[in-house]
Amino acid sequence: MAIRKDANTLTAAERAEFVAAIRVLKAEGIYDRFVLRHANANMSAIHRCSAFLPWHRRFIYDLELELQRVSGNPNLGIPYWNWPSGSANASMWNDDLLGGNGDAGGVVRTGPFRSGQWTVINSSGLPAGPLMRAFGQNGLPTLPTQAAINQVMAVTPYDTSPWNMNSNPSFRNQLEGWIGPNLHNRGHVWVGGSMLPMTSPNDPVFFMHHCMVDKIWHEWQLRFPNQGYLPASGGPFGQNLTDPMGSTPSGQVGSRPIDVLDSAALGIVYDDAAPQPQPQPEIPLIVVGADPIAAAIGVPGETDVFRFEVPAFGAHTMYTLGSSDTFMTLFGPNDPNFEVASDDDAGEGFNAQINRNLSAGTYFLRVRLYSPNSTGNYAVGVRAVSATPGPGPGPVPIPELIVNGVGIDASISAANESDVYRFNVTTGDFYTIQTNGTTDTFMSLHGPNSQIPEIASNDDSGISFNALIRRQLSPGEYFVRVRHYSPSGTGAYSVRVTQG
Amino acid sequence: MTHHTEVFEGGTIDIEDDTSLTINGKEISYVHDAVKNKWSSRYLPYTQYDSLLDLARAIIRDTVEFSGVKE
Repeated sequence: MAIRKDANTLTAAERAEFVAAIRVLKAEGIYDRFVLRHANANMSAIHRCSAFLPWHRRFIYDLELELQRVSGNPNLGIPYWNWPSGSANASMWNDDLLGGNGDAGGVVRTGPFRSGQWTVINSSGLPAGPLMRAFGQNGLPTLPTQAAINQVMAVTPYDTSPWNMNSNPSFRNQLEGWIGPNLHNRGHVWVGGSMLPMTSPNDPVFFMHHCMVDKIWHEWQLRFPNQGYLPASGGPFGQNLTDPMGSTPSGQVGSRPIDVLDSAALGIVYDDAAPQPQPQPEIPLIVVGADPIAAAIGVPGETDVFRFEVPAFGAHTMYTLGSSDTFMTLFGPNDPNFEVASDDDAGEGFNAQINRNLSAGTYFLRVRLYSPNSTGNYAVGVRAVSATPGPGPGPVPIPELIVNGVGIDASISAANESDVYRFNVTTGDFYTIQTNGTTDTFMSLHGPNSQIPEIASNDDSGISFNALIRRQLSPGEYFVRVRHYSPSGTGAYSVRVTQG
Repeated sequence: MTHHTEVFEGGTIDIEDDTSLTINGKEISYVHDAVKNKWSSRYLPYTQYDSLLDLARAIIRDTVEFSGVKE
C-alpha cells in the first residue's frame, strides 16, 4: 500500500527516506529510464489527449514501486505537491527535500538535487547540465488555487470529442490545463527550467506534481462514480478504454486505461479524508426477458450504466430500441471493468445489439450515444435466447465453422467491428484456425462452452498478415473472434478450422 | 517567399515561408492550433506560443537539447 502525503507535512525522517530512495534510483540508472520513457513517448499519445491521466497514473505508480523496493518500505508513497500551499516559501522547497529556486541563471544550488549533486539528461540519455528552476518567471507567476481546483472538480464528462486540447466540456482537458483555469500545465510552467520540456521528470518535483494531478482525478472519480473514462471506443488508437497505451511497459498492472482506473485497487491511499461521493442512484437492474427499460442521455457525453443477472450459462441478446444512435458495451461477469463486447449498429436502425453466450454472473451494460455531442431517448433490454419469445429483436445466430469443412467468407465492414464464429470439437486433438485473404486480421479463441475465457490470440502467424492459432483442444464448443488489426481497418477475409 | 534567420542565445533559427523551422540546422516539427492560432512543439509539451519565432526561441532557451547551460 502506498500512502501518499502532502509533501509539506512530511517528517524529517520521511523526507530523508524519499530523497535517499530517489538518489539510489538515480545511481542505479533507473531514474533516468523514467526520464527517457516520458521524453521519448509520442507527445500526442500522452499529452493533450484522453489517456493523459491514466498514462501518468501508471507512470508514477511504476516509480513508486521502485521507491518502495530500494527503501524497503512497502508503504512509501510519492508525496503530492499541494499547489495552494506549495509556493516558493513552502517547506517542500527546503534543503532537506527538493531544494529551492534556481539562481539568477536558473541553476539550482540548494538541496539534494543541486548542481554538482544531480545531473539532468537529454532525450538521448546524455548528461545535459544541472537542474534548472525559475519559479514564476515564464508568464504564469502563480500556482493553482483551491478555488480553481474546485471549479475543475465540478466538470463532467471525463472527456469529449475530439479528445484533444480543444475538447470541451472535458474534466481531463481542464485538469491538464488547455481550457479553464489551467492546473497541470501551470505547475510545469511555474517551476520553469527543467520542468518545461519533455524531459521534465529530470526534476523530482515532476512526480510530486503528477501525484497531485492523480489525486484530483481520484477524488473526481469518487465524486462522480457513474462518469466513466471516455472514449470507451471510437477514439484514436491508444486512447480508448481498452487500448494499450503507448510507451507503457508490461508490469504488475496492465497498460490500458481500464487497468488503472481504480486507485484503491492499485493500493494507493491518500493522507487526507477523501471527499464523500455525491449520492448516486443504485445501478438500475434489467430483468432478463422483461420489457426494456426507458432511458435517456440527457447531457452530451453522458454514459448510462445498467446491470443484469445471468443465473446459468446460455445465449443472451442485449439490445437498445428507439430512434437514437446508441453505442453499447458489455462488461462482466462480476466485474464492471472487464469488457466483453461492444457494438454500435447491429440492432434495428442505429440501435446497438450484442449476442453472446454468457456464463452465470452479474453483467453491466454501458450505453451512450454514438455522437458525444448528442442527447436522446432509448430503451434497453436483455433477453435469453432460449426463453419464450419476448420483447426486443430476435437473436442473430452465430455462424458455425465445420471442422475440416469449407471456410466462411466474411468481411470487417466497419471500424471496430468484430465477427464471432463457433465450432464444435468432438475429439480431443490439435486444431488449426486461420484466416486467409489480404486483410490484416487479428483473431482470438475462446471456450470451451463460453465466449468469455480467452485461450489464445494471434495477429500475423498465418500467410502474410493473416492470423493463425493452433491449439490442443478438449471436446466442447469454441468461439473464434476476428477483427481487423487496426481499429479503423476494414476488409474481406475467410476463416477455416482444420483438425491437426 | 520569406526567410527569417537569427541567432538567439547561441542557437541559429531559420524560418522559411512562415512554415519551415530549423534550429542549428535541425528541422523542428511543430503543431499549429488553428482554433487558437498558437504554435507548439513536442519539445515543450505544456505551452503554446503566439508565433513560430516565439516557439523557436523558447526551444533554444528551455530545452536541454538546445540550451547552452552547463556547470
